[in-house]
Amino acid sequence: MRIIHFCVIVAMIAAATYVYDIKFESTMQAERLARIRGEIRRERDAIAALRAEWAKLDSPDRIEGLAQRHLPLKATDARQFDQFANLPERPKPPLFADEPDPIGALLSIEQEKDIPTGSTGGRNQR
Amino acid sequence: MTDSAKPNPAKPKLSLVNRLLYGNVDRDAKGRARVGLAILAFACIYTIICGRLVYLASTSDAQGGRRGGGDIIATARPDIQDRNGEVLATDVRMPSLFGEPRRIIDVDEAVELLTATVPDLNANELRERLSSKRGFVWLKREITKEQQRQIHRLGIPGIGFRSENKRVYPNGPAVSHVIGHVNIDNQGIAGIEKWLDARGLADLHSLGFASDRQQEPVQLAVDLRVQHALRSELIAARTKYKAKAAAGLITDVNTGEIVSMVSVPDYDPNDPREALDKDRINRLTTGVFEMGSTFKALTVAMALDSGKITLGSSFDARHSLRYGKFSINDFHAQRRILTVPEIFTYSSNIGTARMALSLGVEHHKAFLKRMGQLDRLRTEIPESAEPLVPKRWGELNTVTIAFGHGLSVAPLQAVMGISALMNGGKLIPPTFLKRTEAEANELAKQVVRPETSDRMRYLMRLNAEKGSARKADVEGYYVGGKTGTAEKVVGGRYSKTKLLTSFTAVLPADKPRYLILIMLDEPQPLPETHGYATSGWNAVPVAGLVIGRVAPLLGIAPRFDLPPADRLILAATASTR
Repeated sequence: MRIIHFCVIVAMIAAATYVYDIKFESTMQAERLARIRGEIRRERDAIAALRAEWAKLDSPDRIEGLAQRHLPLKATDARQFDQFANLPERPKPPLFADEPDPIGALLSIEQEKDIPTGSTGGRNQR
Repeated sequence: MTDSAKPNPAKPKLSLVNRLLYGNVDRDAKGRARVGLAILAFACIYTIICGRLVYLASTSDAQGGRRGGGDIIATARPDIQDRNGEVLATDVRMPSLFGEPRRIIDVDEAVELLTATVPDLNANELRERLSSKRGFVWLKREITKEQQRQIHRLGIPGIGFRSENKRVYPNGPAVSHVIGHVNIDNQGIAGIEKWLDARGLADLHSLGFASDRQQEPVQLAVDLRVQHALRSELIAARTKYKAKAAAGLITDVNTGEIVSMVSVPDYDPNDPREALDKDRINRLTTGVFEMGSTFKALTVAMALDSGKITLGSSFDARHSLRYGKFSINDFHAQRRILTVPEIFTYSSNIGTARMALSLGVEHHKAFLKRMGQLDRLRTEIPESAEPLVPKRWGELNTVTIAFGHGLSVAPLQAVMGISALMNGGKLIPPTFLKRTEAEANELAKQVVRPETSDRMRYLMRLNAEKGSARKADVEGYYVGGKTGTAEKVVGGRYSKTKLLTSFTAVLPADKPRYLILIMLDEPQPLPETHGYATSGWNAVPVAGLVIGRVAPLLGIAPRFDLPPADRLILAATASTR
């Protein structure tokens, strides 16, 4: 019988310790939770502020002003758009190393003629 | 717990409880009873502990979340985005400065330090507020983080901060008339912002909900890039033609979405004081105007839809139309009998008036009613104006309304009507929110026959090929359109010099997707317009510039070498002349 009493007492103390532990832990967790919540809120505020700032920097008004000041770009003309279907076929790649590269050849001709490249044709609409 | 455990080790002795309960009973039974009592006691205690744990677990969340460091997190508003997700309006946390006068020790010192840090604080006002006996006064709403740090370092007792949500509009005035603005307490007082409040946000706020950032953003139909392009062209046009105001509208004819709406002069919603200026109203919804010849499109559509008049019918425009003491003349007088397409392209007042008369006053009235031109048009934005409809509508009214005088409507309303003529005859209420074609079709009302719509598109295109809209015929986009020049009423009579010019373009005319309205208020004649100030010389070229700029943004692929209107539109739709 004494052994049983002893066991019950030990079990009780253990249980009490355990309950206390859980209580303590849960308080800790609650505090952590509150802290993390605060952090999340601060982060969200920061994200919102940054997004607002980004939208401001990205606003078309500002971009247009910058482009006009620093870039030689002009408004596009409808003639500058073309269809994918109108793209020429890609030339076959050279089979052997000593054969001339067709694209390279094209490019070198273009360079000799000194054609301004870039701006017109070949651009496709989004 | 230890108390309830005591009876156990004290088993051999007779405890108080045992004596009371059992007295002289046999040992075995007593033993069992005691054990049973102990089990019962422990079960009770543990049940209570379990229950308490469950309770704590389920409630501590809510309590933890509200411990927010003394902030007032009131009145957060959802973000407003354009159709591509660009931010048009958002909330940013800003500290506000407040004082507790009862706790301030030295008012003069506090005033001196604060004005040194925040220069735009008024020293006298500040002193007055801090000397009052109140418990709480706002000193300055919305200061910067830097100022907050500096003031914090000064360490003045009785001065504190509260962080509040401030509404910011990163694109400034670009979309001002659509989104509207809020007051300092973050309540919407115009535009979409007001609509948000009316839709229940205000109720949520007053009940203390909706106070954090977790709200679904509201997505509008407006395209920021298109909006910007339209606005910058309109500002340029307003300067060039020295107009009092300029306005522009781009809508999707198949869904009723308003892709862009600009009315300059506009205002910066970040500084909404400007909005009170009468000159800065939104002319497209808040103003009503006599739309001039633009209305001829409605008259001609009515005539064609009645079935009594076809594209081949002709009307006498040899002489001016006398009506009592009034006489109706043509601006581009031809002095001959004109067919329906000629009436439309020469914009003949006489022709359209005769057309309307031949159908009668009641028919005309019923048609305009059906096209939504006689009732107030309601959209999401609360600013809207009632059309000015003549009280007694006689034949003379029908004559003048046929060519766009004598009935004032909001331009947005006219655009809705003309969209219906372009998209196959479906009247779709315009919206500032995103909407799909299926949703639009559910709301749509068939107001004219699809054949009438085909013929109207033909006429619109013809006008760009041969008529007054040639300057807007941007190569590659197959534009169609109708000009409108209305004389403004000044002191009860029509002024010859104060004009309201407008141009309604459809893009592309064979398969309409967008309707564009450009409106200039009192444009002045220029040397290069040969002294004219009519629509063809100002609103039309502006529309041309806008279309060239906006069409690629709207995803309209340019096409070249398209046949003229009579082959592409009339032949394709197998209409009979």
